[in-house]
Amino acid sequence: MATDSAKPMLDVQNVNVIYGNYQVLWDVSMQAHAGQVMAVLGPNGSGKSTILKAIMGLTPVRSGKVFLNGEDITNRPAHEMVARGMSMVLERRRLFTGMTVYENVMLGAYHHSVQKYAKDRLEWVESLFPIIAERRDQIAGKMSGGEQQMVAIARALMSKPQLLLMDEPYLGLTPRIVQQIADIIRKVNAEGIAVIFNEQNVKLSFGISSHGYLLESGRVMLSGTGDEMMNSDVIRRVYLGE
Amino acid sequence: MNLAIFLEQILNGLITGSMYALIGSGIALVYGTMKVLNLAHGELYMLGGYFTFFLTVQFGLPPYISIPLAVAIAFALGMLIEKLTIEYLIVRENWAFTTIAATLGLSIVLQNAALLIFGERFNTVPYYVQGVMAIGDIRLPWQRVLIFVVALAVIGLFTWLLKYTRLGWSIRATAQDRDAAQVVGIPVRRVYMICFGLAAALGALAAAMLAPINAISPWAGIPVLLKGFVVVVLGGLGSFPGAIAAGLLLGVVEAIGVQLTSSEWRDVISFTLMIAVIWWRPWGLFGKK
Repeated sequence: MATDSAKPMLDVQNVNVIYGNYQVLWDVSMQAHAGQVMAVLGPNGSGKSTILKAIMGLTPVRSGKVFLNGEDITNRPAHEMVARGMSMVLERRRLFTGMTVYENVMLGAYHHSVQKYAKDRLEWVESLFPIIAERRDQIAGKMSGGEQQMVAIARALMSKPQLLLMDEPYLGLTPRIVQQIADIIRKVNAEGIAVIFNEQNVKLSFGISSHGYLLESGRVMLSGTGDEMMNSDVIRRVYLGE
Repeated sequence: MNLAIFLEQILNGLITGSMYALIGSGIALVYGTMKVLNLAHGELYMLGGYFTFFLTVQFGLPPYISIPLAVAIAFALGMLIEKLTIEYLIVRENWAFTTIAATLGLSIVLQNAALLIFGERFNTVPYYVQGVMAIGDIRLPWQRVLIFVVALAVIGLFTWLLKYTRLGWSIRATAQDRDAAQVVGIPVRRVYMICFGLAAALGALAAAMLAPINAISPWAGIPVLLKGFVVVVLGGLGSFPGAIAAGLLLGVVEAIGVQLTSSEWRDVISFTLMIAVIWWRPWGLFGKK
């Protein structure tokens, strides 16, 4: 693969995560390169959300390392990550539901290292999502799921990330909204922002990603380009039912 | 009962209620943001009273200097206490219990430390302002009017702070979703520390304003904590505006109730109201379901 020659933007090395007595991730390693869209696939309970949280610093890593642009970020607090150029859209949107759309979006540029971008970024996210200007003063919790997902993505883009993590961006959305979100991911990527998202649906994932990893029971089962993954026996048998 | 006396009692109720609001809003701020029930909140009030007493009476500072200074010391002490105790407990799995146990222990330690250091004497501070305000037949000591004005000003200041400042946004965001707050770059641990400090400052301010009326002793915080609980239950646990509204309401209800019965019934009235609210609206009079 051509991507192996360049130094990866994100380098996850043999990460283990344990909740109480239960090991969720076993020696997970993965690489993502600048400007790519990468999918982390897997069924429920495979650890595909946990790996994103571990990268972001929301879940403690028991052993192993996470490097971002060559810097060791293992177990660094999540609130430092926006300053390092990484932001995240959490599972089920997780907006500040009692605050307005404007407040939610502007909080995305809260960190002092990214405050200076706030004005320009707001214009950009408003052009991506016209709803943000239209509903500026609406309480975020009163919006529909799809609208909330747009606000959540806009919030994550406010810090001018180089890498955007998205935890189950399609969860609970109608097919029409899923298409809209997929278009947004393409647009975001077209700006040079690398995206890592996780998803159960293999066909949906490779519609937009160039590269992916398959997790099962907390272990990496398979990785490769979209085509390689789609043509693999495991995926065809287990996920596509062929 | 004539109208003037009745109105006077309502006003007195609002004044007492404004102090309940200051005390309750501190508990609500900490619970709303950290989900920690601070059982040492009364002792932060008590210490605020002592700081005011020493600065005003022992050091002879004028109240407009001694009170802000006492509040500032309480703010710093609150942050220090959070840093030394809650900070380590809140990240553990059993934090809900350990923080309650720790603040209960802290409350006992602070009471006995105060007893050891300050003695069991009841201390008072001279009135900050003398004289009585008279409007028609309604008569109120200026001291009480001052309490109310200061309380309203501080409540206004906090409401503005929460709504429009960077710190306020970070507190509200942390209260609503801790993970999401971290992900956007809010240092949640520091927000916790500041909230604890602000709660201590609110309690200390209440103690400072009440010091000329309510004597300061090592046990002064106990009834304050209980009344604070009534306020946060009425207002909806963890709701800052709810605590303000509930504090004022409780003051008025008590004042009217005492008029109809007698002053020994004051606590019976407030706790009956609290139990009734737990029964009918466990999410509080002003909280959301």
